[in-house]
Amino acid sequence: MKSKKIVMMMLALVLVLATVLTGCGSSNTSSTSGDVIKIGFLGAKTGGHAIFGLGTLTGMKMAVEEVNAAGGILGKQIEIVEEDHGSKQEEMATITQKFVERDKVVAIVGDPTTGGTKTAAPIAQDNKVVLISAGSTGPGVVEIGEYIFRDTLLDSVAAPATMDYVVNEKGWKNVALITSINNDYSVGLSGIFKQATLDKGGKIVIEENIQDGDTDFSAIVTKIKGTNPDVIVFSGYYTEAGLIMKEVRRQGMNDIVMVGGDGLQGEDFYKLGEEAVIGSISYAGFSPEQPTAVTEAFIKKFQEKNDNAMPDLFSAQGYDAVMLIVEAMKKANSVDPVEFHKTLAETSNYEGVSGNITFQANREPLKSPVYLLTVKDAGGKLDFGLLKKVPVK
Amino acid sequence: MKNLIPENYAVRFIFFLLSFVALYYFLKGLAFAINDNYILTILTYMAINTILALGLNLITGITGQLNLGHAAFMSIGAYTGALLTMKMNMPFGISILAAGIMAALIGVLIGYPILRLTGDYFAITTLGFAEIVRVLFNGMEFTNGAIGISGIPRHTNFSIAWSIAVLVIILMVWLNNSRNGRSYMAIRDNEIAAESMGINTSLFKIQSFAVGSFMGGVGGALLAHQISFIKPDMFGFMKSIELLMMVVMGGLGSIPGTILGASLLTMAPEALRVFADYKYLIYGSLLVVMMIFRPNGILGGVNLRQLLDFSVKKKNIERKNLSN
Repeated sequence: MKSKKIVMMMLALVLVLATVLTGCGSSNTSSTSGDVIKIGFLGAKTGGHAIFGLGTLTGMKMAVEEVNAAGGILGKQIEIVEEDHGSKQEEMATITQKFVERDKVVAIVGDPTTGGTKTAAPIAQDNKVVLISAGSTGPGVVEIGEYIFRDTLLDSVAAPATMDYVVNEKGWKNVALITSINNDYSVGLSGIFKQATLDKGGKIVIEENIQDGDTDFSAIVTKIKGTNPDVIVFSGYYTEAGLIMKEVRRQGMNDIVMVGGDGLQGEDFYKLGEEAVIGSISYAGFSPEQPTAVTEAFIKKFQEKNDNAMPDLFSAQGYDAVMLIVEAMKKANSVDPVEFHKTLAETSNYEGVSGNITFQANREPLKSPVYLLTVKDAGGKLDFGLLKKVPVK
Repeated sequence: MKNLIPENYAVRFIFFLLSFVALYYFLKGLAFAINDNYILTILTYMAINTILALGLNLITGITGQLNLGHAAFMSIGAYTGALLTMKMNMPFGISILAAGIMAALIGVLIGYPILRLTGDYFAITTLGFAEIVRVLFNGMEFTNGAIGISGIPRHTNFSIAWSIAVLVIILMVWLNNSRNGRSYMAIRDNEIAAESMGINTSLFKIQSFAVGSFMGGVGGALLAHQISFIKPDMFGFMKSIELLMMVVMGGLGSIPGTILGASLLTMAPEALRVFADYKYLIYGSLLVVMMIFRPNGILGGVNLRQLLDFSVKKKNIERKNLSN
């Protein structure tokens, strides 16, 4: 009887393993045919960060359509493999693994967030697949390896340019700095803003911490009011930003505006802040206003395809990411990432739709110009509009 | 079984160790045979989730204390393991062990006051504790705050994860059938009756909480060394709920059920990829349907021995039918 049980147990184990393996194995649809190049899209199509992911994907699709219509690259058509990770860290890792192993992609575009990129990048690097993040701005991304790139305007480039304008041109020298302590983007950006403020001759009069998801800011705004700052710098996201400004006006500070990173640029900023956010300053690597010829053509095409909607930063950067890969492939005359990651790293003065892109020696992008944006009231509808174009050397 | 496992404890230990080494190399061979990193990654997560879910099952399923903060112990393990490996250059094995011990220690510390609470009160307290841990990791300097720790060496692989998972499964079955395990179940079924029978309820509750937290810590450390990047947000309330879902879906209190639940829920997002954008919709509906038709979980109330007995009996019946 006992030995029978052991046999049964072994049998059960083998059965379970067999089902699992064949179950996973049957989904193997990778075509190894040589006339299609696959590029993976890694991002969230559902959940909290979906707006970043969907934007990137729209831009990527446009770029791929264009390249394919023009005969593809080196006689091959490009295909996007898209997967939704719903902002779950474990799924990001498995999806990247799937791209590499199953779909045999040559490059991955994504993830738009820094955390997601840090999860996916080591896998891409180990398997020698190029990864371009069309959105991550935090520290410690391209350091992961020579296959890892990003095409965003870095905060370390944009924040000093912004603070130069705020401190020196506007003369707002006393800065109140607010950080969202449970938001990695905010913590990183606050450090940069702080350094930039001091470098440009400003002074931090108070530093306050909030948390993403907080809704009552009356206490910290009262504290800030006591220090009498000229401007509030907030490094977090739009929801909290809108609520903070609402509270700032409620407590009677009527001339103070908010300065922040691209995290401010969400619809909720105006919806929650209403007229309190007029005049708030942010920056971007992309603005549809005063476009270059390349950008203008992109906007036109984007509007034709998307019911006259204006392209956002992520669609422009998603578009550029694909185009950068295509350029690099052309230059290397190869679709093998082992070859074209080198030419990609040599990209210099590439005129992208989201600005001029140069990869520095450490593969960090240098983008020019920086677009300073400010919230304007356009006939009752609030939106970020161009304030100033600042070229970066 | 008796003729397979020797009587002498020293011999027994060596026997156990040898079979563990054999298992490790068997799994290594299996990994080599599968030779597909995508499948191996999924299987590795399956092992990690099995370890985590079994820890939670001990606390919630077997001892009956609803724990809504298991992810907190996971994060303690993940950070301890990652920091030890990266900052102190500890060997992987020691990091994992230390991660488990750290989680268990904190489990005892926190368990001592809160395990006097029962039912909903206990659940809410664990929930609060998990939030405190997350906020602490967000605020502390050496954990790098919300930015998290990246570049953790990727030591965890299929064979290591499953070796540890098998070890945990054996430990759980053994614990379940021991005197302590019976006490845990007595506490779950009726705490007052258990106490009047002479069971030291607070001692056993803390004990089960510590062992469960230990598993949480080990699982967290394995996860950190698999993903290579951790941040406090990964261990939020939703993670605790996800783990609880594995236990409840598989069958509260059932070890094979928990393993099945953990495996299924790890596989589900990958298996449902064919549905593309409707993935989470179908995932959710499956859970609802599951709970309507099997409210006790797939293998609710079934333990390993029953499962085996059942299959052997069935086989005998079939054989009889055939011979007739």
